[in-house]
Amino acid sequence: MNISESIRMAIASIFTHKLRSFLTLLSVAIGVFAIMGSGSLVSSIDETVETEMANLGENSFKVTRMPSVQTGRGSWRKYNKREKIDYKQYSQLKKNIGEMAYVSVESSQGSMTVKYLEFQTDPDVNLQGTNEVYFNINDRDVPLGRAITEADVEFDRNVAVIGNDIRNKIFKGINPIGKEIKIGNQRFEVIGLLDEKGAILGQSQDNQVIIPISKFNKYYSNWWESLDIKVKAFNKESFVYVLDETIGALRTLRGDKPWEDNSFEIETNESITEQFSGLTGYLSYFGLLAGFFALAAAGVGITNIMLVAIKERTREIGLRKALGARRFWITMQFLVETMTITLIGGLIGIIMGYLMSTILGLALGLTVTIPINWIIISLTVTTFLGLISGLYPAYKAAGLDPIEALRYE
Amino acid sequence: MPKTIIDIRNISKVYKMGTQLVHALRDVSVSIEENEYVALMGPSGSGKSTLMNILGCLDTPSTGTYLFNGTNVNELNDNELAEIRNREIGFVFQTFNLLPRASALKNIELPLVYSGIKKYDRLDRAEAALKSVGLEDRMEHKPNELSGGQRQRVAIARALVTSPSIILADEPTGNLDTKTGNDIMKLFQNLWEKGNTIIIVTHEEEIALHAKRIIRLRDGLVETDEINQNQVTFN
Repeated sequence: MNISESIRMAIASIFTHKLRSFLTLLSVAIGVFAIMGSGSLVSSIDETVETEMANLGENSFKVTRMPSVQTGRGSWRKYNKREKIDYKQYSQLKKNIGEMAYVSVESSQGSMTVKYLEFQTDPDVNLQGTNEVYFNINDRDVPLGRAITEADVEFDRNVAVIGNDIRNKIFKGINPIGKEIKIGNQRFEVIGLLDEKGAILGQSQDNQVIIPISKFNKYYSNWWESLDIKVKAFNKESFVYVLDETIGALRTLRGDKPWEDNSFEIETNESITEQFSGLTGYLSYFGLLAGFFALAAAGVGITNIMLVAIKERTREIGLRKALGARRFWITMQFLVETMTITLIGGLIGIIMGYLMSTILGLALGLTVTIPINWIIISLTVTTFLGLISGLYPAYKAAGLDPIEALRYE
Repeated sequence: MPKTIIDIRNISKVYKMGTQLVHALRDVSVSIEENEYVALMGPSGSGKSTLMNILGCLDTPSTGTYLFNGTNVNELNDNELAEIRNREIGFVFQTFNLLPRASALKNIELPLVYSGIKKYDRLDRAEAALKSVGLEDRMEHKPNELSGGQRQRVAIARALVTSPSIILADEPTGNLDTKTGNDIMKLFQNLWEKGNTIIIVTHEEEIALHAKRIIRLRDGLVETDEINQNQVTFN
């Protein structure tokens, strides 16, 4: 008697009881789906954050009023008390560290509509107010036309660099450079076209219009809105110094008392990745928990079904014992059968979970990965599930009295 | 002198049914030698099923001793009993008891699987056994594709495949019509003539008359145990 024989027998019995097997497989598949789906989604998010979210580039950091990811309870209240970062603070900071680093200022409004003649976009365009170093710091090129310059900001010019999505929507087949667009009540001359970036975390990086921060602040910003500042040190050696200088300068500018924490956030690539892993940690934890509960329920169901199966196959068991099957072989047969069912269910769950996370990942613009570690975890868990839920029925089958079993109708 | 295979001495079997003790067998002694053809007869309640279970090592007696090929069966545990059943006893049942989803060949292979014989060996032996019952053209047929007589032949082939010391048949013709039943009895006679030891449990006089020796049980006791002077044989 060998394992492959038991597996073949198990598959045969799965096909004999199609509905019952289907329901059992389904219960296992759902549990594994939860584990596998959340696990691989989390892997994809982590991967994406590492490769794409960390788009600050080398020697860069970001200054914001609030952290970009908030997980703790009550933290919003703490951050909300903070004073906004205003244009004056930015200008002063730029004066202080401008000889060692690029300093960009950024503020944006979503849900804008851009018009050209009778054409217009959906009201979902991101309008970005910034300065001349934005393109350098954020690693964006302007392959057609030119970028925003210092003079554009200084003289508050009505100029705009548009993303590829905008061009596709309202400038079908025409060169947009030099054309006049309308955003709200303001008219802008298109001076450049941004390079294509695709989507990150579901957000298109090409559906935006970039204008001088001076213009933005005048017409599109609310008085309470805080600015983001990005700093990129000229070289690696000066990075720490620039960081210290920035913190010092901002604390002074914002009047933070010596005993108080910073009234702003400094984010580096590492700190953003860290914040995200905190968030994904929660996600995978809940996925695992839900999966394990589902599998525990599935395990009880499997035990029940195997007990019924053994009842139905009492005569077969009696026959096998009469023909000389030892207890061990009967135990093995039913254990392997249970494990085959759970493993098939597990494989279905893995495929479903993988498909779900892939579809969701693609929709969110994540880097989709094949999460080998989650596949291994899922397979291990289902193997143990089969072992545990099959143990009692198998033990019971092996203990049947062959005389009684053969007489059973 | 022929070898004694079964040696039962003063065995009894007592069951507890609720508060009542049922004496299924009382002080039974039987010995069966190699190449005997024995019919075990008796009405229901006579204890013949109990005796058959004990002979088949499916059950052990309450008192008395049972020596099988010189081994004291009383002292064996579950797994050792399973091993004796596997190697020494070929069972044939009234209801055939074939695995419904397995081919004739797979059914015959089953006892060999349990005795740990290698796959190619198993196939050779299973094919030979199927040939010896005249079903070499039905190897891949499932039980539901075979007639009752053919199913019983498969079951007999399964009993033969381990070359056991005895073949123990429990009402082997009980589910068959007279003609098919006769075919099966002819097969048993054949096997006996080739040197097999056969014990047939039956309540039908006609079937019992094919055997060389008839043991009649009544109320848990051996009533008669004698050579069958009127043995009916096939040509």
